[in-house]
Amino acid sequence: MTTKRIIVSWVLLLSFACVAFGQSPEQMFERANSLYQQGKAAEARDLYESIVQNGFVSSDVYYNLGNAHYKTGNIARAILNYERARRLMPSDEDLRHNLQLANLLITDRIETAPRLFVWDYWEGLKDMFSTRTVTWLAYLVFVALVVLVALVILARTYRLRKAGFLASAATGLALIALLVVLSAKIADDRRTDEAIVLATITTVKNSPDSKSSDAFVLHAGVKVQIIDSVSDWVKIRLADGKVGWMEKTAAETI
Amino acid sequence: MKGRGGHRAFFAFCIALFLASRLAAQDATFVASVDRNPVGIGEQFTLVFTLNNGGMGGGKNLQLPDLSKFHVMAGPNQSSSMQFINGAVSSSVTYSFILQPKEMGKFTIGTASIEAAGKVVKTSPLVLDVVKAAAKPKTQARAPDDVSAQIGDNLFLRATVDRTHVVQGEQINLVFKVYTRVSVTNYAVEKTPTFTGFWGEDVETPKNIALTTETVNGKQYRVGIIRRVALFPTQSGLLEISPMELQTTVQVQSPRSNDPFDSFFRDPFGRNVNYPVKSDPIKIKVDPLPPGAPDDFKGAVGQLAMSTSVDKKTTRTNEPISLKVTISGTGNIKLLESPAVDLPADFEQYTPKVSDAINRQADRISGSKTFEYLLIPRYPGLKVIKPVTFSYYDLAKKDYVRLRSPQIEMNVEQGAAPALPLIAGSLREDVKLLSQDIRFIKVVVPSFSKKGESLHGSGVFVGLMLLPLAGLVGAFVYARRRQTAMLDQVAYRNRRAIRVAQKGLKQAEYLLKEKAGAKGSPSSNQRLRFYSEVSRALWKYLGDKLNIPQAEFSIDGATTELSCRSVEPGLLQALRSLLESCDMARFAPSSLDVSSMQKAYDEAKRIIVELERTLK
Repeated sequence: MTTKRIIVSWVLLLSFACVAFGQSPEQMFERANSLYQQGKAAEARDLYESIVQNGFVSSDVYYNLGNAHYKTGNIARAILNYERARRLMPSDEDLRHNLQLANLLITDRIETAPRLFVWDYWEGLKDMFSTRTVTWLAYLVFVALVVLVALVILARTYRLRKAGFLASAATGLALIALLVVLSAKIADDRRTDEAIVLATITTVKNSPDSKSSDAFVLHAGVKVQIIDSVSDWVKIRLADGKVGWMEKTAAETI
Repeated sequence: MKGRGGHRAFFAFCIALFLASRLAAQDATFVASVDRNPVGIGEQFTLVFTLNNGGMGGGKNLQLPDLSKFHVMAGPNQSSSMQFINGAVSSSVTYSFILQPKEMGKFTIGTASIEAAGKVVKTSPLVLDVVKAAAKPKTQARAPDDVSAQIGDNLFLRATVDRTHVVQGEQINLVFKVYTRVSVTNYAVEKTPTFTGFWGEDVETPKNIALTTETVNGKQYRVGIIRRVALFPTQSGLLEISPMELQTTVQVQSPRSNDPFDSFFRDPFGRNVNYPVKSDPIKIKVDPLPPGAPDDFKGAVGQLAMSTSVDKKTTRTNEPISLKVTISGTGNIKLLESPAVDLPADFEQYTPKVSDAINRQADRISGSKTFEYLLIPRYPGLKVIKPVTFSYYDLAKKDYVRLRSPQIEMNVEQGAAPALPLIAGSLREDVKLLSQDIRFIKVVVPSFSKKGESLHGSGVFVGLMLLPLAGLVGAFVYARRRQTAMLDQVAYRNRRAIRVAQKGLKQAEYLLKEKAGAKGSPSSNQRLRFYSEVSRALWKYLGDKLNIPQAEFSIDGATTELSCRSVEPGLLQALRSLLESCDMARFAPSSLDVSSMQKAYDEAKRIIVELERTLK
């Protein structure tokens, strides 16, 4: 009886929500865009947010949501959404510009710890294309490889067979390289250890205990890496290598 | 003689000593004392342990009390003395320490013990009071009581302010004055006042103190201004000006005494004594400035005016212009901060040169402060410098006032070096972003995907992956089939070979029988047909058997192929000669008769049977 009533009320609520927020994410997106253009960034922000809340995801939604947060003055949330968009479109020039600008506005300046240049190349390589693009590229190369192998199987003359074999070997190497990049990108996408500090000011402690001594202070918008967690505390590492514990609620994972 | 007498005297002395010590041993005492009590913190005092009648050599095994509450500055120092008074001998040994207390409070110096003349004697504990730094360490500098009674209220230092309740940044005039009815010959500032929370500006006072007269409580004093300070509070709240202390040298009359010698030696002009005077602390109530300050307000208070000027209205590129902003009036001029000047983006600006002219003579500090900005236009055109604004709190109006200069326009002409900075790499400017803002949103409606979904994990993608694989399997199956089909063809030809050959030979046999039946010599045409039939049957058989197209066949090729398949050479030779004779018969048919035809037919038949057996 009661469960039935709950279900009915939920269904009603959901249908009402659908009516209230427009039917499809595409329509909501367009409405939010026009609100943004009229300067109503806060309303646009809520609408973009509800698209994401409904489970629809796109790099553009995250990017626009980041812009709306930026316009409403919430730089930390803007950075969080730009970082989420970056996972989906790493090479977008507008996104890079906005993220850089937002990072200029946060309080903390953190020097990146120096590392081997090879890592920068590797990051650059990974950031060249989105996961989706790399997946399609790998698929095309895979199809080419299959065609070439079929050629080797079906070729009547020796010369054709030899050429087909060499070409399929080269294609196979290319496929392996693409699969390495793709698996790295998929692993990156599944990462849950990167977070943005959202609390205006957080004191990072030396151990997961509020009575512990203070290690350093962070302000909103800083990107941290979560390396461990104990109950309500997470162990974080900054880009410059500083390590400390802070409350879980102070940051949100990308 | 002489040496003997010396010895005797020494001996006597020793005996005397011994006697003395025997005598003293009866009442040896050990006493602890300090030279003063209470002691101010930070002051040194002397702790003395005295052993009386302990014998000349002093005591043994001196046990000291715990002195860890004090800094031991010096000691122990040992000294001894001996007195012979009317035949009675008394001796004393002292152990002295110079100590300094570490902290305030009551301290007990415990007992010290010493062994003297075979007995252990002890001091009684001593209670020492350590108090806050004593009134004056320099006791000798203090004027004797009679002098201070004589000076009394005839000399004092007074600090006065013209107002005690101001707003932050408002000027207060603080004056230190000495009031005197005695003759002060000299003075020195012992302790300067501190103006915590204020910006203090000394107002010039004449080198020689000009004395005026003032009447206080019915007494007429000569008054001298020691110091004059203009104070500007930099924070709000109840602020205190600490007192100033002076050490004065006052000429006083020595007290009269009846001693004629004293009056004889008395200085006819009196004598000089040092006498300290101290002003009272002053409390000032400072109100904070009212809320509602303009954005560009930087703490200026007073009554101010602003003027701006540029040295030239037209200039050339890369030639500097100086923009002067002068703020003048009364108030805390010295504390003024430079007003912000909003320049066109392509102007180069240097930090302003600041100069001030301050008049400290008057009651209120006034003057002017000039900020000179050096500007270098880099590009030609009509340039506009936006109005310079400056805000201050007007004390008369009790409100904020915002001053605004007129807008400055100037014409920049192309200078001698046209656009050179753009070419020279070192001088080239980066593209300056006039205002930094984020890029616009993405307006094209994207294709949404469900959260957590990925292309590589979707069913469609797995299907797409399987598709080419299926094609590959298809290709493989096809290749396999094609190969088996090809093999089947070979086997078929192999099986068919004998039948085809037999059919061909049957045709030849028919031709042969026809000849034999006719009993005549067969025509050359018939012979030709016969041989070509035999030759064809043989070739066809070989072609089918060896899976070689007939066109690519020759006698040599066929024999080598056959020899590879282990056909005996005799048979090969027979095949060769038969094929050659067939060829020959085709070109010269008349040379062969029926019997040779019969022979060729039999030979062909035999070769095919033999080959069939070998090649099976």
